[in-house]
Order: sequence, then structure tokens, then C-alpha cells
Amino acid sequence: MSRFFVLGSLLVALVAGPAFAQGQVNVYNWSDYIDPAQLKNFAASTKIKVNYTTYDSNEILDAKLRTGQAGYDVVVPTASPFLVRQLAAKLYQPLDKSKLKNYGNLDPKTMALLAKYDPDNAHAIPWMWGTIGIGYNTVEIRKRMNNAPVDSLKMIFDPATLSRFADCGIMVLDSATDVLPAALKYLHLDPDSKKPEDLAKAADILMGIRPFIRKFHSSEYINALAGGDICLAFGYSGDILQARDRAAQSAEKRDIAYTIPHEGAMVWMDVAAIPKGAPNVDNAYRFLDFMMDPKVAAASSTLTNYANGNAAATALLDKSISGNKSIYPTDGARAYFYTITPGTAAETRERTRLWTTIKTGQ
Amino acid sequence: MTDPIVRIEGVAKRYGAVTAVDGVDLEIARGELFALLGGSGCGKTTLLRAIAGLETPDSGRILIDGQDMTGVPAHKRPVNMMFQSYALFPHMDVAANVGYGLRREGRPKPEVARRVAEALALVKLEALGDRKPSQLSGGQRQRVALARALVKQPKLLLLDEPLAALDRKLREGTRFELVRLQEQLGLTFVVVTHDQEEAMSMATRLAVMNAGRIVQTGTPHELYEHPATRFVADFIGVANIFETAPGRWLALRPEKIALSAERPHTAHTATGKVADVAYEGDRSLYRVATHSHGTMLVSTANVHRTRDGAFRRGDTVWLGWSDTSGQVLDA
Amino acid sequence: MKAVIAAPYTWLVVFFLLPFALVLTIALGTNDPDSAPPVALGFGFENFARLFTDKLYLTAWLSSIRIAAVSTLGCLLLGYPMAYAIARAAPARRPTLLMLVMLPFWTSFLIRVYAWMGLLAENGILNQFLRWSGLSAHPGTILGTEWAVHLGIVYAYLPFMVLPLYVLLEKLDTSLLEAAADLGARPVAAFLTVTLPLSLPGIIAGCLMVFIPAVGEFVIPDLLGGTRTLMIGKVLWDEFFTNADWPLASAVAICLLVLLVGPIALFQRQQAKGLERTR
Repeated sequence: MSRFFVLGSLLVALVAGPAFAQGQVNVYNWSDYIDPAQLKNFAASTKIKVNYTTYDSNEILDAKLRTGQAGYDVVVPTASPFLVRQLAAKLYQPLDKSKLKNYGNLDPKTMALLAKYDPDNAHAIPWMWGTIGIGYNTVEIRKRMNNAPVDSLKMIFDPATLSRFADCGIMVLDSATDVLPAALKYLHLDPDSKKPEDLAKAADILMGIRPFIRKFHSSEYINALAGGDICLAFGYSGDILQARDRAAQSAEKRDIAYTIPHEGAMVWMDVAAIPKGAPNVDNAYRFLDFMMDPKVAAASSTLTNYANGNAAATALLDKSISGNKSIYPTDGARAYFYTITPGTAAETRERTRLWTTIKTGQ
Repeated sequence: MTDPIVRIEGVAKRYGAVTAVDGVDLEIARGELFALLGGSGCGKTTLLRAIAGLETPDSGRILIDGQDMTGVPAHKRPVNMMFQSYALFPHMDVAANVGYGLRREGRPKPEVARRVAEALALVKLEALGDRKPSQLSGGQRQRVALARALVKQPKLLLLDEPLAALDRKLREGTRFELVRLQEQLGLTFVVVTHDQEEAMSMATRLAVMNAGRIVQTGTPHELYEHPATRFVADFIGVANIFETAPGRWLALRPEKIALSAERPHTAHTATGKVADVAYEGDRSLYRVATHSHGTMLVSTANVHRTRDGAFRRGDTVWLGWSDTSGQVLDA
Repeated sequence: MKAVIAAPYTWLVVFFLLPFALVLTIALGTNDPDSAPPVALGFGFENFARLFTDKLYLTAWLSSIRIAAVSTLGCLLLGYPMAYAIARAAPARRPTLLMLVMLPFWTSFLIRVYAWMGLLAENGILNQFLRWSGLSAHPGTILGTEWAVHLGIVYAYLPFMVLPLYVLLEKLDTSLLEAAADLGARPVAAFLTVTLPLSLPGIIAGCLMVFIPAVGEFVIPDLLGGTRTLMIGKVLWDEFFTNADWPLASAVAICLLVLLVGPIALFQRQQAKGLERTR
């Protein structure tokens, strides 16, 4: 019961954070995000006890940080909008880069992108990044439309195209900040636009395709795609590649593919940072340094199917990952990537409200 | 019996290994107040419930007013029952409880109201129609249960231990009340009771049951003066029972024995010492330890006023009775 | 002795009144995303006013109440015969039957809901069976519809309906039904005039125990329902987590509480009246 879990953990966070003690570090991260063997190595070589807890949504991390005194030393939020909002609320401490000997391994291009959200890269280091694109069951799609535009946003936002696949099941992320910008992009508008008239047009597009979408959900499509319950999804690259791997191992040997829309894809990035009031700051630095170790980043990318922000790690990766254009796109494709900014509280509210209207048709 | 209201033919009922009713034949006449008397577990309640349709006999059949009731469910039988627990509906007030049966018949409201009022008047509860059963005393509840069972004027009213839940004083008054109602309404009552005094004083006729069978049927007088078996002689009233020959016994009621200081000129005599005296005002009971017949119980009516009782403990006395004083039994 | 009496009050103050006061304080403040926690304390009713001006909240309310009501009715229609059958079963078999009703509680709630997803999915066990048996070549998908939400709620909350009903029906004196039959009531009439009214407190208790949590249910509509299923629990989640608008989320929570306290208070009064009558 995640609802009770959330409230329960909030209460615990309010009452008492993890105990202060020498020789430990409290890491709060997404599930399946750091290679567990490497985590063991870290604990063994440093003698630091890692209290590793996981979450599965940025919102929960955000709520915990905002209650104050969560007791975490290292957390991994998504850069936009979460890190940006959290920086505005002054929830992180600036990094003393002299304490991070592996800092030079980081990828300058990724650092430049991140600097848009965190000026001078003062608070956060990049961890993993990926795109939002189209996942599909190759056989089922071909059966219904031989020349389906699988590398285009038309796949999702053009009702005439999308309707062909309604019978085999379509899922779309339940996330206003991920889907509305894509709809704007499809309309050749600024994907980061906060203008009500632009958003209204995006909403019109979404209302048009809504009848063909089985569900808006941010994680169910992994199992659904792998299990053959749906044949088309608009979701996170790593999730869809995870579905691909699972489907390939299944008895039916379903073939799942991921494409980055040629019109441009939203790129997201998860970053590591040290919250204010972290009880074990020194150990937090050692853990960040550990995350920037190319071996660790490479092992974790192998686990997640996401690109990492560590330039030195690319050479260590298997070709099936480093050479996969869906994970490490070409510079040409990257030129079309876009990012969004969080906007004001009022804009957030309007966007959420609009999203609810779209989803429920009310 | 030419036209019995109830005719029971070879009815038996078993629960697993236990036989509750073991082949009973019985006829009950119209207008009787008939009592089924027996100890607990003798099958009397099962038999009553079988008449009501609340139990299905394993074999035999029951006819009510000449009609075979086999397969007729309880709600279609022309009988009503007053339950030992009264089974009043706790969520309905007294008037609603009493009118329940009439409403099920679909009687118009004014008729229901009138007949409920009549029934309540009959049991003298006119003022309590809007009370809930939980607000009534035990005696009042008993009368509500009676009114509820009476209100449909059934051909046959079955009463399961109607007085058992009342205290002793109330019980005696209510006993006569039941008899008065039965005579006034001209209905047939079948009463189940374990209390022989109650059965004797109320019933026009009664059946004594033991181990699922009817041992004897008759008027209270017949059963008292001419018991058919030692069980009946012992169960009804008090009797001195002794074996006169192998397989033959004599049942002798205490009041049928003459008590004297001298040897009496009766056909049979016995002598012994007074072991106990119980003075009960209208009569005295003596327990006499005889040599020939063991301890015998004798009662004498205290017709004369004397300063103290005729005999005291330890006195040697003579007992005397005639050939016709007792009942000869062969079972 | 005094400590024993004080315990429930202490519990009430620490675990209900204090959190409630906290939530109310937040609800009266305004959203301030640049602070942590994101609340500027104050004394205003803007958040409550918003709940009554934006029809989203009203729609979510009505839809939650409708879904909870339909599911409660489903629980009642399914749970009553179950409770009745258990109460009328041989006394030796009742503990086993009750245990079977409780058995699902021994596994995690979340796992059971996921199991339903596996059953109801497009390629789920139900549809596989329908296709295999030839009953239907193209069965529809239940998962993602409001039917799935109803099914999930009925399944998850059925024991809460069965148990209070069982407790009442088990106590029900069978001689009352015999009396009704003896007075000419057919079985249906006896049920309607005796069993049903006497089990009314159990029906009310069971319905409240299902309805109240069902109104605020979040997990079942999220996992089994489609996206169109709008429920107040989801709205609250969105306000708190997606919008990080704690004051508005608190206002929703307060309204949820107030609207649910109504029927409970009514039930309590009914119970108290019932006690008075039987006194």
C-alpha cells in the first residue's frame, strides 16, 4: 500500500532520521539504479556501512526532503523540474569539488546541459540520463500498419495512426511534464512553452488521442509491453529497453523496440546531491566519488540500459550499450533533444489541472 | 375417537444415533386441553414441533383436522405455537408482534388493529401495545406470546413449556388463566410440560412420554389411580411400589394406606417404626420403616384438631390396606 | 486504573487530534514552493474555497462516492449470503469457513491487487482461458475499466462486510424465524420482516467499514482502474506530490474527513438509540 507507506515514511522522517554514527552513509536512490556488486565493493573497501533505501517516484523524495531532517546523505533527484525546485527551496549544500578526485571523469557535454538547472554545477553531479520515446512490439505494429512511422511522434499524437493500434493496447506516461512538451513538439511549438494558448492546443491533440489510449501510467507499461498486453507505449528509454530484455527472455520471444522520435525527444537526467543537514557529509563525498568511478557507472548502465554522465565509463561499456543509438544517440540526434524548466507554482498547478482534465475527460 | 383434531400415526424422528421420537400414535380430540408430560429428552418437544411443522418426521404421518400434513410447511399449517423462549420479535412493539400473523394473511389494517386489541384485552395487556418486548416483565412477555399465538384463532394451539420461565407464584395464577382462556375460546390446546403437577391440574387428558414413546394416555384421574406401568405410577404423584410376585408389582398411593396404633382388620397389613414425620398442615406425611415392605410413605388428612400429631418418630405403628387400594402392575 | 482509562484518550490526542490540528494549520496556510516545507502559514480559506469553485474536486468527489457506493452494494450482495451461510453452518465448521474468509489477509494487499492485474489483463489468465475454451475469440479487457476497480474493492473489502454481518447473524435466535413461519410467514417474508431488520446494525456497520476506506481508496483505482477513473484519493496524491501544494492537499484531506465523519456520527446515534430501546 504505497499510500500508507508514503505517509508512514513521512511520519518516520518527521520524528527521527537515521541515527548519527561514524562510518555510515545514508543513500536514498531509485530502485535498481546502482550495481549491487559495486555497492558491496564500496562497503568492503571503505568500511563505511551503506544504508541504502529506494523510492520509485521523484514526488516522494521531494516530499521527504521538504519535511526537513530526512537524514539522507546522498539523494538522486531528476534534474528538472525536481532539482530546480529543490534548489530554489535551498535543500542542498554546495559541493566542495576538491573532495571529489573522480570529478574529472564527468562528461563535459552532460555537465553543460546540467548547468542550465544548477548554475556552475555547484550542487549536483550527473548520474544517468535518457530519453522519452516510443516503445513498440514490432510484430504487432507491422501486422496493423506495414509502414508505421515508428520513429515519429505521429505514432503517438496522430489519431489516424494511433487508432490503428488501439485494439492491441497503448499506454502513455502519466506525467504532465513529460507528455505535454512532446505534444507541443509535435505541433512545432516550443516544448517548454507555458503559454495557456499553446497548452490548450496540446490538450486538444491529447483529447483527440485519449480514446485510443488504454491507460496513462508511469511504470505499468514495462510489464504490459513485455507480457504482450499492449503493443505501443510512450515512455522512458531505459524502461522500454528493460521490457525489451524481458520480452526476449519470455517463451513467446516478443520483439520490442525503442525509437527516439526524429522530431526531437525530451532528455531527462538524474543527478546526485547532498541535502542540507546530511549527518555524514564526509562519507557522502566518498560515496559521490564512488559513483563517479568509471567502473561503477559502467556497471550501473549495464544494469539500467541508461547512458551515464561519465565520459571515462563509455570505453568500459559493452558495444551493445555504448553502440546502441537508442542509449547513446549520435550527436546529430542529440541536437534535436530538448529540456524543460519547471515554471512557477501557478503554472505547475495549471499544468496538473490540465493533465487531469485530459486523462479523465472531465 | 370419531373426529380427532390431531391424529398422529407411527411418527418417529432420529437425530444421528439418538432416537427422539420412537413410533408414536396419538389422537387428540377437539376442545381438549391435552398435555404431553415427560422428563427432559423424552421427545415431547420434538413431537410438538413435528405437529407445528418445525420438524419433519422420518416416518409416520400427522393429520390435522383430517388433512395429512406431510410436506406441508410450517407457514401453511392451521396451528400456532407459543415458544418456550416466547420468541418475541425484539424489533417490533407488542401490537406489531401480536398482529404479525394477521399481517402475513394480508388482513386489512383496521381488522388487524381490532383483533390485536381484542387479543391484548384477552391477556389483559391493553395498555402496553406500544412497548418493546425488552421493556416488559417476564410475565408480560409470556402473555404477549400467548396473545400472538391466539390472535389467529388457530384450530390448534401448541404451547411449549408455557409456564417454565415464570416464577412459582405467577405460575399458579397463569395456569388457571390458561384454562380459562381455553374454555372461553373453545380452542384445542396441546401443552408440553415436564411438571406433572401442572399437567394434572390443567389438562383434560394427558400423555406420559418416556424415551421417545407414549407410555400411557388418559385423564389425570385415570393416570393417577390406574397407572399402567411403574414409570407412570412413579412419575405421577407419589407411590409405594413393591413386588408382590415375580414380574408383578403393587403401586400404593400414600393416602390409600390406613395408619393405626393397633393391628387393623384389613386384607393386608404391615408394621414398623415411624422414621420421619413431615407436618404439612392439611396433612401429615410419615415415613415408616417396615420389616415386610421396606420404607413406606403414608399420608393422613389432619381432619381433627389435636394438641400434637397423632404419632411421633420412634412410635411403633400398623399400616393397613385392602385388595383394591392399590394398582397391580405387570410392567 | 486511571492510566487504563486515560490510555484511549492519550491515543486519541496523540494520534488523531494533534495530526488533525497540524493538517488543519497547513490547510489554512498558502503554498510556498521555495521553502521547506512548502507552506507559508496564515489564516485563510482560499484552499477550501478552491475545492468548491473548481469542478474537478466536485467531480472527483461524486465519482469516489459513486464508485464506493456501488462497490459497497456489491460487497453487501455478496457478503450477506456468505455471512448468512457461515452463521447457519454447523458450529464445528464455522471457524474453518471464517478462516477462509480471512485467509487473503495473510498475504500482502499489494500482491493480491497485482494478482488481479495478472488475471484481468488483455493477455491475462481470464482472457487466455476464454480464448482457449473457445467461449470468446476476442474477449474485451476488464483491466483498466471501472469494473476492475469495483471488482478490486469488492474483493479487498469483502471480509469487512462479512465479519460484522456474521457476528450479528450468528447471534440471531433461530426460534424467531420459526415463530415467523409458525405465524404464516413464507421464508422470503420471514427474511424480510425478521432477519433483515434484525441484521440492520450489521449491514450498516459492514457498509461503513467498506464505504469509508473505499471513498479514499488510491491503490486499487491506480492499479486496476483506467486513467478515466477519477477519485479523490488520486486528486489528493496529485496535490501533495505532483503539485507539491501541501495546503490544498490538506484542505482536501480535511473535507474528506468531515464528509466521512457525517455517516459515522449518524451510525453512532442509531446505535445509541438502539441501546436505549433495549434497556
